[in-house]
Amino acid sequence: MKLRRSMLFVPGDNAGMLSTSFVFKPDSVMFDLEDAVSPQEKDSARLLVYQALRHPSYRDIERVVRVNELNTEYGMKDLEMAVRGGADIIRLPKTETAADIELLDRQVTRIEKECGRPSGQTRVMAAIESASGVVNAVSITRASPRMVAIALAGFDYLVDMQSERSGGSEPELFYARAAVLHAARAAGIDAFDVAYGDVNDMDGFMREVLIAKNLGFNGKSLIHPRQIEPLHKAYAPTAKELAFAKRVIQAAEKAKREGLGVTSLDGKMVDPPVIAHAEMVIMRAEAA
Amino acid sequence: MDIVRNAIAGTLESGDVLVKVSPSEDGTLTVHIESEVIKQFGRQIRSTVMETIKALSIGAATVVVSDKGALDCVIKARVQAGLLRGAGATDLNWKVLG
Amino acid sequence: MSDDPPGVDLADHSELDFSTVDVTVSPDVEAEITRLLQENGLELDEQINTFVVCRKDGHLVGCAGFDRDVIKDVAVTPGLHGAAISLRLGSEVTKLAAARGYHDLFLYCRPDNAQRFRGWAFYPLVEIPDVIALMENNPVALAKYLEKLSRERHPGKAIGGVVLNANPFTLGHRFLVENAAKGCDWLHVFVVREEAAQFSYADRFRLVTEGLADIRNVTIHQGSKYIISRATFPGYFLKTRATIESSFTGIDLLMFREHIAPALGINRRYVGTEPFDATTNCYNASMKHWLADAPSTAAPIETVVIERLAVDGSPVSASKVRALLSAWDLRAIERLVPSTTLAFLEGQATPARDRKQGGW
Repeated sequence: MKLRRSMLFVPGDNAGMLSTSFVFKPDSVMFDLEDAVSPQEKDSARLLVYQALRHPSYRDIERVVRVNELNTEYGMKDLEMAVRGGADIIRLPKTETAADIELLDRQVTRIEKECGRPSGQTRVMAAIESASGVVNAVSITRASPRMVAIALAGFDYLVDMQSERSGGSEPELFYARAAVLHAARAAGIDAFDVAYGDVNDMDGFMREVLIAKNLGFNGKSLIHPRQIEPLHKAYAPTAKELAFAKRVIQAAEKAKREGLGVTSLDGKMVDPPVIAHAEMVIMRAEAA
Repeated sequence: MDIVRNAIAGTLESGDVLVKVSPSEDGTLTVHIESEVIKQFGRQIRSTVMETIKALSIGAATVVVSDKGALDCVIKARVQAGLLRGAGATDLNWKVLG
Repeated sequence: MSDDPPGVDLADHSELDFSTVDVTVSPDVEAEITRLLQENGLELDEQINTFVVCRKDGHLVGCAGFDRDVIKDVAVTPGLHGAAISLRLGSEVTKLAAARGYHDLFLYCRPDNAQRFRGWAFYPLVEIPDVIALMENNPVALAKYLEKLSRERHPGKAIGGVVLNANPFTLGHRFLVENAAKGCDWLHVFVVREEAAQFSYADRFRLVTEGLADIRNVTIHQGSKYIISRATFPGYFLKTRATIESSFTGIDLLMFREHIAPALGINRRYVGTEPFDATTNCYNASMKHWLADAPSTAAPIETVVIERLAVDGSPVSASKVRALLSAWDLRAIERLVPSTTLAFLEGQATPARDRKQGGW
């Protein structure tokens, strides 16, 4: 089980940021070759990201590469570089249908074979940025065994919906969030909430973090390092939650030792989902 | 690979290098390094630059590297980008660039 | 934000907006830029149309102007992110110029700012202390150029230099060079390289070569960006030749004195009297000052002024020849140019010629 609370976006053409972003210790780092990089710099950014992928400083952080859409002149080159460079996850922007993921999967499979990378090692994630993506979320999350996560990209999605952020509890994002979450849970993968664009508004950011956490999002896309620690803190369990989680694990281990199938704790069933949740709580506590 | 036009890659910002590539006027390879830490790291920077040039089979070119405290891997990437742009190359041979 | 993790620079995270602006169509932005420049002790150069500007929260915090391959009017609001803004500006201007085909760039700045522009990977060429400095974005270009030049050195006590535009080459130019060559052991002639004249550089250079072919002790050099170019002497190429600041003639003349002349051992500069063009006259008048009197790292160079050749009572001038050419008055031209130039001019088409020959 991998903690995926924070996915820090790092522009692929910024040498200084690529060189230093590991110090902020996000759970995942996303090297962006798409929207952050101008067309004139795509080639240079691709070479920089390749180096970053192979740099020891990033060895302990999950490395994600947001490639350009595969039907652009950049997308396939990005993919060749990223798979060969050892990216942990390929993030596909503007995912609209299962076929998008299936195509990605086939290409990744081919490249893994060509470069001798263990088949299946490269994972993928979908970024939902449109109404089509939202309504197809269920089939998208099931389109490949490589899928580990699905993210909602708020800004582009709202543009596609001809809507905009209204602040507060944001009803305009509710359906999309719910759809993405349900698809993720049904497929057993992680879900990422939208990025918060105003880096100076930490109050607004934290409000959104709590909404996302309560809905059940595993984490959030981040665009600034200063968002990492507050996010991690918000995901940290309370002492009470942690204590309960520990007891759950102890009960489960005891039941296993005694050969019992299922046990209960404080009147609640300790079945696999409860155990998994407890493991997650403990992980979050340890990482906070 | 031949350098057929002027090209630049990189930026002036901290942690980066600005690489300027131009066709050689006399058929030789000329490399000029500028860095605030030229005393401590000049040799290392030059070595990284030369390796990168050789790995792309560039025989003749003028390359000027203005270093702003970049890691070796950044230098490598930016020099690669400058050389490829200067050669008008669009296809990357990943076995060589790795 | 005091809570930032260490190592975070706001400039990295897109709080600054960079854009390119044409001030001739944006008077509001031009006014903002003018203000920012004034705050930095600079004046808006009328020749600069394109600026890269940096805004923070909508306020203009940095600007860098450029005209093709010459960067000027760079100003940054001093403060916390001044250095970061400056470097981004430098990168953007460099990239923009490169996209337009200009890789070899020059930059004008105040001498006390030259250090900042070292950070832009620009290197000093020449400077008028406390007034203005000229820099180039290549650490070795000038040195390589001078090294090539120095291979053309000739021994002798009196080594002269003269710079011609020769638009086109006339008997006046011939007269100047002939007399200069007589007074020297060797004379180095440079032809202005800029394509800003009626006749192309290639044609002008060829006519100079043909017109001086028989003079034994002369070397004719290709012009360069370091000798009366848009970079070293922008005022020379202005369409409206208003009076130019003497500081810019100083830049070109100091380049000559400190770099060109030593490479060839030149110790005197020849120039003809200039009764017609105000800009050139101003330049010539300041020659003695910059080549000899002004403090400099290089030895003084003597300025020798030679009275212009007069034909039929009038000083010979290239502009007169051009005027006669538009009127297709070849007979009058014949008295002012050598046969080699005449042959070339006869091959030129002009509206007057076409009219005379019955074309439309």
